[in-house]
Amino acid sequence: MTKTTTLAEAVASIPSGAQVALSGFAISRCAMAFAHEVIRQGIKGLTVSQCVCAMDADILVGGGSVERIVYGGGSRGRFGQHHCVNRGIEGGTLIAEEHSSLSMAFRHLAGALGLPFIPIRSLRGSDVLKRLQEVAPSEFSYVDDPFTGDKWLVLKPLVPDVAVVQVQVADEEGNAWIMGSRWDNEEQVKASKRAIVITERLVPTDVIRRDPERTVIPGFRVSHVVHLPFAAHPSAVYRVYDYDVDHIRQYADASKTPEGFQKYLDKYVYGAKDHWDYLELIGGMKHLTGLMADPVLGY
Amino acid sequence: MTADLEYTPFELMAVAGARELKDGEIVAVGLGLPMIATFLAKRTHAPNIAILFELGVVDPEPIHTGVGLADPRVWYRAKVLSGFVDMLGTVLHKGLVDVGFLGGLETDAYGNLNTTLIGDPKGKFRHFTGSGGGNDVASCARRTVIIIRHEARRLNEAVSFVTSPGYLRGGGDREAAGLRGGPSRVITDKAVFGFDPESKRMRLESIHPGNALEDVLSNMAFQPIVPDDLPVTEPPTAKQVRLIREEIDPEGMYAE
Repeated sequence: MTKTTTLAEAVASIPSGAQVALSGFAISRCAMAFAHEVIRQGIKGLTVSQCVCAMDADILVGGGSVERIVYGGGSRGRFGQHHCVNRGIEGGTLIAEEHSSLSMAFRHLAGALGLPFIPIRSLRGSDVLKRLQEVAPSEFSYVDDPFTGDKWLVLKPLVPDVAVVQVQVADEEGNAWIMGSRWDNEEQVKASKRAIVITERLVPTDVIRRDPERTVIPGFRVSHVVHLPFAAHPSAVYRVYDYDVDHIRQYADASKTPEGFQKYLDKYVYGAKDHWDYLELIGGMKHLTGLMADPVLGY
Repeated sequence: MTADLEYTPFELMAVAGARELKDGEIVAVGLGLPMIATFLAKRTHAPNIAILFELGVVDPEPIHTGVGLADPRVWYRAKVLSGFVDMLGTVLHKGLVDVGFLGGLETDAYGNLNTTLIGDPKGKFRHFTGSGGGNDVASCARRTVIIIRHEARRLNEAVSFVTSPGYLRGGGDREAAGLRGGPSRVITDKAVFGFDPESKRMRLESIHPGNALEDVLSNMAFQPIVPDDLPVTEPPTAKQVRLIREEIDPEGMYAE
């Protein structure tokens, strides 16, 4: 069954207030085109869950679409901090459930396995846990190990309404390959009630059947497939294209202030009627060709 | 040797970091100095070290500078590319990581690390990176090595936010919280510290060549334990400096 559709239609399936797992990690495989369309459609009040904070979450927060972020922290590395997320936390306009990377991966894993809770050695003794007690006291608890009697911190599973995953290769059913590190994308998708796959390449199912061990996301978990090249720009997609240094710097500078960020949104999000329009705005085919990954290096 | 060997404080720290690693150990690293320290150990006394990055990367051999762990440049020629549950779960959480390198905005007399915020957590503050895998490594690794710049604002009696626990308020506090392991060393650009086995308070182990004790103490906001017998940190050898400059980091890509 074909599930291919437009980005606008896939995004329109997400109601305001939904819980959405996002596939980005800092500056890699961020669901940027998706985030732009969410902002354009005026979807609000989202809860976003992500292992390590990425540009897709940051622009959604800055664009006013997010009420709550459930994440493990993170920055853009040498490209600096996620200013929209940090500003939201500092100003109290964004509810932040801050965990660690592993706590997030485990919460998605518990959701994927259908477990009632998952024990973890992390967080204990830290102010991260104290802060969670204030922000989200119902998301963790303690149990005694029935075998040893040891006391364990346990986390509540995450079961997002939808996972949005930026991948390299998928077919029209949504069977998808993720190349390179997958962070916790597989657990996110399998924890979620359904998934939207945004793919750089759309291939016939025969291609998938030839190398099925590469399939990370089975099509039966997928509700929509969107075939959209450069949909993660300006972030990187391993083996397809590199991150766009100049554009990320432009974003980083703009997002330092609410005014600067609004100008960025006006130009690249509201100023583009769709993703194809956006690709023209950032420099079109000539610019994008310069970002294509070297086949040996993968970047 | 007739003339004194020239080296940078960064190179000395990398060598001190390498010295902390034993052959065959599994080491969780981040970018920067820990990478050089670990590669150096691997090319000298510890060829069978396994290097891992939290997001699912084992033994990469990068040839270009990465902006962070998410940069495919730092995954180049890896032996494994997987994910968090694989690395932080089946390796770190299971208890297989021998050494984790950690850094942060500030640390304190008991090796607690703050990577979350500066200011008053209940009032006005500036928010930074948060945990990432830092809390997980601090909680689950058998031991951790903290790398931090030697400045009074980074070496405080107590951190304003415990992102990654060290020995908490000292003594048996860490064990009481249900945590194993803990920080074994703190390496700055002026000295190497350990922790007192009983009180778990930071203790000077050695001072880097060319630094006076007053210089070390006046750039800290707390008083560490100072033993009577205080050695000078062993400087890098000519071979170590050559390896760093010519083979491990000829482009200077890990230097901050």
